[in-house]
Amino acid sequence: MNSVTADTIKTNQTVEIVDLDSNETGQRLGEMGFWPGKSITLVLSAPFGDPMAFEVDNTVIALRKNEAKLIKVKTSAA
Amino acid sequence: MAKSKSSPLIALTGVPNVGKTTIFNKLTGLNQKVGNYPGVTVDKVIGRMKTSTGSVDILDLPGTYNLYPRSEDERVVFRVLSGLEPDIEVAAVITIADMSNPERSLFLVTQLVDMGYPTALVLNMEDQAKKEGLEINKILLQRLLGIPVFTASADKGIGIDQIKKAIEENGFSEGRKVVDPAKFCDESLLLKVSGITKQNNPYQALQVLKFKDEEKQIPKEIRERLSELVEEYNFNPAQVQREETKIRYDHVRDILSKCIKSPEKKRAGLTRKLDSIFLHPVFGFGIFLAILFMVFQAIFSWAEGPMDFIDTSFASIAQWVSEALPAGALTDLLTEGIIPGLGGIVIFVPQIALLFAFLSLLEGSGYMARAVFITDRVMRPFGLNGRSVVPLISGFACAIPGIMAARTISNRRDRLITIFVTPFMSCSARLPVYIVLVGLLFPEGESTFFNSKGTAFFGLYLLGILAALLSAAGMKVIMKSERSGTLVLELPRYRIPQLQTVVTTMYEKSKTFVLEAGKIILAISIVLWVLASYGPGDSMDQAAASVALPKVETAEAMHEYHTEVSSKKIQASYAGIVGKWVEPVIKPLGYDWKIGIALICSFAAREVFVSTMATIYSIGADSEDIQTLQQLLSTEKRDDTGEPTFTSATVWSLLVFYAFAMQCMSTIAIVKRETKGWKWPIIQTVYMTALAYFSALFVYQLLS
Repeated sequence: MNSVTADTIKTNQTVEIVDLDSNETGQRLGEMGFWPGKSITLVLSAPFGDPMAFEVDNTVIALRKNEAKLIKVKTSAA
Repeated sequence: MAKSKSSPLIALTGVPNVGKTTIFNKLTGLNQKVGNYPGVTVDKVIGRMKTSTGSVDILDLPGTYNLYPRSEDERVVFRVLSGLEPDIEVAAVITIADMSNPERSLFLVTQLVDMGYPTALVLNMEDQAKKEGLEINKILLQRLLGIPVFTASADKGIGIDQIKKAIEENGFSEGRKVVDPAKFCDESLLLKVSGITKQNNPYQALQVLKFKDEEKQIPKEIRERLSELVEEYNFNPAQVQREETKIRYDHVRDILSKCIKSPEKKRAGLTRKLDSIFLHPVFGFGIFLAILFMVFQAIFSWAEGPMDFIDTSFASIAQWVSEALPAGALTDLLTEGIIPGLGGIVIFVPQIALLFAFLSLLEGSGYMARAVFITDRVMRPFGLNGRSVVPLISGFACAIPGIMAARTISNRRDRLITIFVTPFMSCSARLPVYIVLVGLLFPEGESTFFNSKGTAFFGLYLLGILAALLSAAGMKVIMKSERSGTLVLELPRYRIPQLQTVVTTMYEKSKTFVLEAGKIILAISIVLWVLASYGPGDSMDQAAASVALPKVETAEAMHEYHTEVSSKKIQASYAGIVGKWVEPVIKPLGYDWKIGIALICSFAAREVFVSTMATIYSIGADSEDIQTLQQLLSTEKRDDTGEPTFTSATVWSLLVFYAFAMQCMSTIAIVKRETKGWKWPIIQTVYMTALAYFSALFVYQLLS
């Protein structure tokens, strides 16, 4: 198991959220469905790799790179 | 707002992109009234639905994912539903959800239920969910939530009757509570809060307590009392918020695991395919620019016909009135002040309606979120974000719809910066001014491959863009203290836009502009008319008398006589006096007092420059023949020195002045409306005029 932040994962990679920053933006991400235990997939990135679009619960949500940084994820072995 | 006490008010809520507006339009038709929530710029749209026994008012709340007040939209919903809006008493709430993605919607539902509202849930876009192979056990969902659940495909009009029936028969219920507020704090604390801010439900009180600092509408002394309570009870809002969110998500997931059968296959494949084209790292930008170019072209060319029509219609109305009524000051006020003033408002309607039709199409199809997505990074260094692109580009046609379109920007700072710099984009009203002046610079059309006129135009447009971006970057530095924005933007599925929504948007936006900005524009045009048509004492009559009547009264001679009279009159008027009065100020820019009159009158609208110059140089306001004007201007000599007035230094200086200066009362009026006060329009006008003055000064001194 490897713990990294969500801004570093590759396109089409699916990971599980393990932790969320506790600042206000982090809280907002939680309210939007980025909740520990959920799996997210990086669907695509805009030019320059920022913002990034993640799929969570059958919805695609775009985050800026520094917002994705607030999400700690673990990469599964596959 | 609750005009008649007899009609109960039902609020429509839902997460964004679930077809809430479509349902609202189908329920109420054009029976809608747009107002404003106090303190914010979000529109309050209330529609009336006829029922067999009378009528019901339906309040279309902005789309939000939850009832936590983080953006301006969310603040509105929070306030209305937490009982902080004394004029609005919500009797029941309908939540619209996307059936194929119910999780987030159910989160909102649990909050509404906890607030004690009689509630109903509509699972919209059933057709889409079925196509994706999703199945929901509606009966079980109903039982677990404790509220009625309906399904609908509002785009096709399916299920609307059922919703109407539920509203008529008051088929809502209060539902099963999810979070017990007493779990987080002492009940006496919540009772005390309710005592202060008048909540009638413990969860509402908890919400107010958690977000009291987000709510600038709550008076300061009340917020201080709440802060004392927070200290006294050792209440930790952030922690409570986290725990509450977790309980709700766990609950929602538990419910969904019981009633949803998810398909094997993943999300709609078509959206994926379209995204791989529209969001392609290389072509994505190209497609975006092509779409913008088309929109811009359409606004420019399609609006031209209706605008000409409005122009000539108002001219003939004025003509007709002046013939029908006896001559006098009142008739003059009507025909030269009020009617042209009204015309000056209505003339913007085609551009506003068209821009909003396109915006509504882009929004409804799902493309708008993509446009924001690919441009966000590029705009950020300038203190703007992806949502600023559309207002700025619209500014090329007209700043007014652009500024109105800036509402989609949720971050306050980014929105203000966008509104502030949009008028720098060279709008279509600058075009006639540019045409006359650039024509003076390069009189004979050179037929070389490299066209000087074209280059000058390009340079002027570029100058506007540069001024906008640099000013934005400057403001970003100054407004550093304000909270910087987040993006967090849903990329919805692509969908076919609803014609009814497009039409309603066009109608509502045009109406808002005419009614709200119209008042200010009308007032200023009357003031300008008075300035231009009256002078101190009998100076105007003397000026008119100084022109000799032609000996032979041929039609041509009389026409020449009348134009000469109006030229002399405007010179003797208050506007003329102000023109002479400002001459020392504008002399360093290379202007004389006649240009001063034109500058003052162009405050009504930039293109007035052309007609004012035509009046001053007496070619008659009716023949705005650009070539005649250019010929006259090029031979014009200064009163004092006898040198030509329009040297290339003066013309360039004028061009730069018009590129930068805020000479549009309609823009000022709309900025005042959108920012809720005079502070921003005044700062903006002063800044733009100062920038225009000093840039023009620099250019003139450099070239002369």
